[in-house]
Amino acid sequence: MAVLNRMDWYDLARTTNWTPSYVTEDELFPPKLSGDFGLPQNAWEKYDEPYKQTYPEYVKVQRDKDAGAYSVKAALERSRIFENADPGWKSVMKAHYGAIARGEYAAASAEARMMRFSKAPGMRNMSTLGCLDEIRHGQMQLYFPHEHVAKDRQMDWAFKAYDTNEWAMIAARHFFDDIMMTRDAISVSIMLTFSFETGFTNMQFLGLAADAAEAGDHTFANLISSIQTDESRHAQIGGPALKVLIENGQKAEAQKRVDIAVWGAWKLFSVLTGPIMDYYTPLEHRKQSFKEFMEEWIVAQFERALTDMGLDLPWYWDIFLKDIAQTHHGMHLGSYFWRPTLWWNPAAGVTPDERAWLEAKYPGWNDTWGQCWDVFIDNVVDGNMAMTYPETLPYVCNMCQLPILGTPGKGWNVKDYPLEYNGRLYHFGSEVDRWVFEQEPERYAGHLSIVDRFLAGMIQPMDLGGALQYMNIAPGEIGDDAHNYAWAEVYRALRAAKKAG
Amino acid sequence: MALFPLTSNFEGDFVLQLVAVDTENTMDEVAAAAAVHSVGRRVRARPDCIMRIRRQGATDFLPRAMKVHESGLKPTETIEIIWEPVRH
Ligand SMILES: [Fe+2]
Ligand SMILES: [Fe+2]
Repeated sequence: MAVLNRMDWYDLARTTNWTPSYVTEDELFPPKLSGDFGLPQNAWEKYDEPYKQTYPEYVKVQRDKDAGAYSVKAALERSRIFENADPGWKSVMKAHYGAIARGEYAAASAEARMMRFSKAPGMRNMSTLGCLDEIRHGQMQLYFPHEHVAKDRQMDWAFKAYDTNEWAMIAARHFFDDIMMTRDAISVSIMLTFSFETGFTNMQFLGLAADAAEAGDHTFANLISSIQTDESRHAQIGGPALKVLIENGQKAEAQKRVDIAVWGAWKLFSVLTGPIMDYYTPLEHRKQSFKEFMEEWIVAQFERALTDMGLDLPWYWDIFLKDIAQTHHGMHLGSYFWRPTLWWNPAAGVTPDERAWLEAKYPGWNDTWGQCWDVFIDNVVDGNMAMTYPETLPYVCNMCQLPILGTPGKGWNVKDYPLEYNGRLYHFGSEVDRWVFEQEPERYAGHLSIVDRFLAGMIQPMDLGGALQYMNIAPGEIGDDAHNYAWAEVYRALRAAKKAG
Repeated sequence: MALFPLTSNFEGDFVLQLVAVDTENTMDEVAAAAAVHSVGRRVRARPDCIMRIRRQGATDFLPRAMKVHESGLKPTETIEIIWEPVRH
């Protein structure tokens, strides 16, 4: 039997809107869930997805992708790559799995909201496939790390992280709750797929796939690229929705959603991906600095995506372009200094050679971030380890939930962006974080940051032990230097040589 | 006498930190409490200087002997701890 070409029947098969007669349109598509923006069903019927795939095609392609990734894993299971990997690389895997795996699974429910509640039939088709994608990503990124759980307790965080009150996970949940778990179908398409996935998952997935290949971890490299091919398809769900909104006079609402989601995504990547690229990755494996990568893969591509769409660059673009050379250095120093509160072992990445690289990529690094690290390194060399740990909490932002930080040393510019709202004093890490809050204060006002919880007496006893317990970090999982401070030997030798000389 | 949380923005450091003081503490004592979390950890001590407190954005320092409860500072308000050279 001859089979029709896809395009001979796709448009007809996608025409699945009808005029409801037993219920009202608002009952069929409750505005809170559908996000109709005052537009009737027929306006959404103009939604035209750029990437058309039918269910049989999808199943065939996905089956092959799965077979590929799983067979590489099976073939390399006895290769001892994990055992022999650089400790910095293991940390990359642990951070990635914990922060991403269960978030992928949650994304399936966001896709399902578009699948059921979007008034755009084309969006319902694409997000049906997107939902299956995200289930696959959740399952794979739980299955792949599982073989390592018996070797290393921190690997258990691949599953556990999202159930904890670990500070970075509070930040991740706050962001994903905002852009995908508590938004209507159309907003999800803009904030999750267009802003987060088009704008930023490239960063994590393309960047990490390359790093994994460099590190010789072909299982991880294949897994990550396999996922990225799905992401690049379903990331296109939001574009046509933006077009419909702009054509119907809703540009301002569309732009606001993009601006909010892009900023939150940026903050999350500054803590997750920035330290990995510029500090954890062994020097010989570094291709580009985080800033160069951002400029090439995020800034240039995303600027084009926005203008092609008829949107403006976010109002804070100048702030963003400045921050991509700064924020992640603070996120690294902060997460490293508070390392017992991580579920991975951060690599310091501050040997003299690494510092020379940082100085070349970020002129002025030694006079700013380097000044803080100088004090830290002296303490390690002197064996004064107590002073290499914190005795209080960093103040975190009431929007991104990450430490409020800036450039230290000679470029000192650290600043709080406070706001009093309904008698409560909120603190933000930037003008943009505060602006996001001000767009819809009631949406965010009730949330307690980890510092708010501490001050409310919810963390007991009020010391590191109590904090670790609150964050569900068990003995054997507590983060410490990835290389057990072996990198400090070179400084010890330098000091000895100086004394002798 | 009551515990009072402030947010420390210490000159030369990279991050805001929570610092617990007492409403009876003087500004010099507040500075010393903030220094515990920055000096010797990520900021070098400066024996040629004393540490002064000011509100974020202000140019004037609060008097060294002023107590927290006299300062008008709100709980968790951000203070800047600034090195001031000692005049000889
Ligand atoms: Fe995904
Ligand atoms: Fe996705």
